[in-house]
Amino acid sequence: MNTALKILATFVIGVALGLFATWFFVFRGAMPGGVSDGPWKTNLSVGSASGDMATRASVAVHGLLALNRSETVYYTAVSDTGGEALDGRCDYLIAGRDPAARWWSITAYAEDDFLIPNPQNRYSISKNSVLHEAGGGFTASVSRKPTGNNVIPVADAPFSLTLRLYNPDPRVVADPAHAALLTIQKVACP
Amino acid sequence: MSARSWAPWILATLVLAVAVHLATVWYLPHFVMNRALAKMGAPNMIHHGGRVTAASRGVVRPSPDLLYSTCPFDLSNGPIEIRATVPANTYWSVSLFDAETNNFFVRNDRQLNGKPLDLIVLTPKEDREPHQLPGRIFVRSPSEHGLALFRTLINDDSHFAAIDKARRQSNCAPLTK
Repeated sequence: MNTALKILATFVIGVALGLFATWFFVFRGAMPGGVSDGPWKTNLSVGSASGDMATRASVAVHGLLALNRSETVYYTAVSDTGGEALDGRCDYLIAGRDPAARWWSITAYAEDDFLIPNPQNRYSISKNSVLHEAGGGFTASVSRKPTGNNVIPVADAPFSLTLRLYNPDPRVVADPAHAALLTIQKVACP
Repeated sequence: MSARSWAPWILATLVLAVAVHLATVWYLPHFVMNRALAKMGAPNMIHHGGRVTAASRGVVRPSPDLLYSTCPFDLSNGPIEIRATVPANTYWSVSLFDAETNNFFVRNDRQLNGKPLDLIVLTPKEDREPHQLPGRIFVRSPSEHGLALFRTLINDDSHFAAIDKARRQSNCAPLTK
């Protein structure tokens, strides 16, 4: 093989491999430096300038314009409390009490990180919109066949949930791995 | 051809791959922010977004419970002034992001304690602060370009009109001397 061809092949394969690595680790991969609380994962670097190069790239791609954690703590779940991936073909039950924050919401997102179209135009439940039980707790269903008030409609595809805690309790900010959050139980699958 | 003669080429390919990977990861925040700013309209003025739906595809993972207003800023001709009346009884915040997507400033309704916001965003090189007024806040941006983002919580659908009207009292413009 002549030298020119080798140089060309080196260049093309090198650039392609480099771009693939960026796509694989940043776009497709999970954010580095995360902590978990049950199925909920958060990243302490979101919104701050202190993260390393890889974390900052990941935050720019997955959490652009997010607030720092004293203002808002963002948790994301891609799996249920049993550890299995969230799948819109199944029904789920979210249960617990209001997380410790001035205001909270749980929103479902499609794999492309945008809201999931549905006839009701409902995308989330929040501290204000959810109906609480007498004891102060609540349950909400996540389903492609939504009924009732406490419901987040999804589609027939994998999805993720984001739990936002606005003006979180300082204890959540200090120790986000041990906040009292909500369980996500799989109820039924086809 | 022997394996020995291929070795330098394979090594060069891997070195190039690592270099391209690191360079793209390093540049990505800047690239993502530039793209987001380009979609947000003219700089140094406020743009009020409508209610977030599944058709809202400007920025990833938007919250359907918030109303977003944006002011992309360009400080190359000097500081900008952001004035806002804080809506009552709901979460509201203004946050500033630099050209690398870093959140370098945030104030919420509780911190302002019901008082209107008067915020001056200074250029990275500005060495003198403009005229001080009571309650006026100064913050220096790490970069000339960036974004001011206002979040207003729709805590009750029946209050939507009032909340929407209140957030439209905000203003973002070059600071008049």
